[in-house]
Amino acid sequence: MKFGKRLKRQIEESLPEWRDKFLCYKDLKKLVKLISATQPSSKAEAEFICLLNSEIDKFNAFFVDQEEEFIIRQMELQEWIKRRVAATSAAAEYARIGTEMVNLHGEMVLLVNYSSVNYTGLAKILKKYDKRTGGLLRLPFIEKVLEQPFFTTDLISKLVKECESTMDSMFPAAAAAATAAREEAVMVVEQRVFRNAVAALVTMRELRRGSSTYGHFSLPPLSSPDADLLQSLQLPSPIPIL
Amino acid sequence: METSSALPVVKLSMEQLGDARSSGVMSSFLPVRPNSSREKFPKIPDSQLVLMEREIRSNPLPSDYTPFVSDGGNVRPLFLSPSGLSSDLRFSSSLPNERHTDGTPFANQLLNAEVSLSSTYSSNTGIFQVPNNNLPKDPTAVTWCPDTVQGTGNSKINDSLIMVSDDLSKQNEWWSDIMNVDWKDLLNDTTIAESQSKVVYPAAQSSPNNSMHQLQTHQSVPCHSGEVCSITSTMSATTSTAAKPRMRWTPELHERFIDAVVQLGGSEKATPKGVLNIMKVEGLTICHVKSHLQKYRTTRHIPDSSEGMPEKRITQSEELPSLNLKTGINEALRLQMEVQKRLHEQLEIQRSMQLRIEEQARCLQIMIEKQRKSTMEKQHASSTPEEPTTHSTAENELPEAGNSSSGLKRTEVSRQVGSKWKMPELETSKEKETDAIIGCPSTSKHIRGSAERDAKETHKNIKDASGEIKKTAENVREKISAAADQVVDKTIEAAGNVIDSAQGGRAKEGSQSAWGSAKETMQKIKDTVVGKAEESQQSIKDGRENTKRAMDAKN
Repeated sequence: MKFGKRLKRQIEESLPEWRDKFLCYKDLKKLVKLISATQPSSKAEAEFICLLNSEIDKFNAFFVDQEEEFIIRQMELQEWIKRRVAATSAAAEYARIGTEMVNLHGEMVLLVNYSSVNYTGLAKILKKYDKRTGGLLRLPFIEKVLEQPFFTTDLISKLVKECESTMDSMFPAAAAAATAAREEAVMVVEQRVFRNAVAALVTMRELRRGSSTYGHFSLPPLSSPDADLLQSLQLPSPIPIL
Repeated sequence: METSSALPVVKLSMEQLGDARSSGVMSSFLPVRPNSSREKFPKIPDSQLVLMEREIRSNPLPSDYTPFVSDGGNVRPLFLSPSGLSSDLRFSSSLPNERHTDGTPFANQLLNAEVSLSSTYSSNTGIFQVPNNNLPKDPTAVTWCPDTVQGTGNSKINDSLIMVSDDLSKQNEWWSDIMNVDWKDLLNDTTIAESQSKVVYPAAQSSPNNSMHQLQTHQSVPCHSGEVCSITSTMSATTSTAAKPRMRWTPELHERFIDAVVQLGGSEKATPKGVLNIMKVEGLTICHVKSHLQKYRTTRHIPDSSEGMPEKRITQSEELPSLNLKTGINEALRLQMEVQKRLHEQLEIQRSMQLRIEEQARCLQIMIEKQRKSTMEKQHASSTPEEPTTHSTAENELPEAGNSSSGLKRTEVSRQVGSKWKMPELETSKEKETDAIIGCPSTSKHIRGSAERDAKETHKNIKDASGEIKKTAENVREKISAAADQVVDKTIEAAGNVIDSAQGGRAKEGSQSAWGSAKETMQKIKDTVVGKAEESQQSIKDGRENTKRAMDAKN
């Protein structure tokens, strides 16, 4: 259930509208448990497949939808920047543009993370399924998953990189002269996405920690704080707007 | 993974449509890359179809009710093109061991449902699921997952459903457009029944509670009987295009869209039809444009409104003397950006690793399959004590393992290599081989000779494969250690700072020590990675040795 817990935590930290778009790992696990090892073509197996398929549909729909929105927002942001750069605007304007851009960047990265988390979940549950039934569903199924829209994140990655380069050109790293007063309101807006990103990183490390069923198909560990550590790493609740 | 732009994709989909039309089969507009057009969705078509049918049957509603499934969550067949049909069949046939696949329950249900709905049922009309899919996507739409029903409780579902109903009324007009525009283009005579059922079909979606119940029931229903999957595949794959198959937008496409909108005088003035005409993109339907335009309008409001943001903000920033016009970016923003960047990097690395792992798995599987096949062939050959036959089989390029001992070796090796895989068929064939060998003592010598050769080849192949895995594991390990170190360090800083500023240092010490121990753990894990990688290499090595030993024993 370790992955399940991690996934749950990740979902909790995620943007509200995303929360029901993640993999229903728990339910899939329940179905796998119901599958009897001896009796073939049981109802549970078919249900499992049904659920898998509908999950994939869900991912695809959500992913493509978000992708579309990001494309629009990215374009709009670029237009906005062009307009503002032409008319040298107040610092506040730039701050706003910066905030928007960073948030957009964050959300895009989170979408990539969404894709990755769901893929991992699928791989894991398929492994469990194969173990349980002695079947070979995992390989062909996962190969098809690799081709699904929700897993082909190339476009989003490209957008992310574009975002980063725009940020770099707009706000050169050299001038990192910290502003004395942090705008609290800005912080709150960021919190949402930021917390999610940090949580995603932490979760990734957790997932990649050496597991009991390490095999050829497990990813090497990234890093692994233990549970207590994770607890203390949780960011505090968003600071109130002063 | 391939990176191709959307335009080729659009064309591809158009081709699909073209094919569909000529074959009298409707296919949905598939956005996916050209290379992967074969296999889009590995799913079993059935359940969705059945779900829909049930709903239609039990919930006849006013026909002006707008069909719901905007997020296409349930209606899988949406994604199937004519090639999808074959992919489905391929999928079912590629899993000979899949007990459940073979017995897909759905076909029966589907047949019944369809028959009851339209008298002119033909195997070419995979009507039912389509209408739903073709609806403009609604990002707030509910995911009609049975598990959602079960897991999250009713309130959430009801809320989502309420949202859905609202959206549906909005989409009403769109639906009529869909019915007018696309249908004429895309439907042929045989699918007239489709349109009839479509009208009825959407109506089924209106009552949220009922639908949800049905959904629950449906989920269990389709999974009962054990009919052949192929029929279902046929039916579900031939989906009609109708309103809105899923579409994948790209920046290029979006630029064209914007050009068209500008030409028409702005996002408020532009009409979907106008935009569609100007854009002149094949395969783009008015439905796509409509939803995209709506999204566009919504997004535009945000920058506009933020420009009119409270003056407070401006006053604040003006008070900051150190704020450089162009570079006065908030330190927290910078931090956030850093973290996000790191996360993205890690994700990319992870992704490439996952792809490589799957590739390795595929290669191994192919090899093992070949071995198995050649075993079967060997088995046939060994039953006839003819030298030529045996030799010719032995000369096959496929790594062969013709007798019981090599079969044993193979099984062992595959056990090692394919760690969690069960290979029941290998074990069975091993038994068969033993029987065959016992029955033909005269051929044992020949078999032994060729078996040695085969085993050597097998040995070599396994060695190569394990070498590959080893290399991959090493590369991966290096990369990950390096990257992980960076990530941890940076993030430790970043998060520490943020927490610091956010809480005025209250939890600073706690988090700092926490991050410190994260570093330690990181080091430990690095060592573990090394250890584990070595373990797996060791197990492969053992497998090889076993092979060797068995070969020697045979000698």
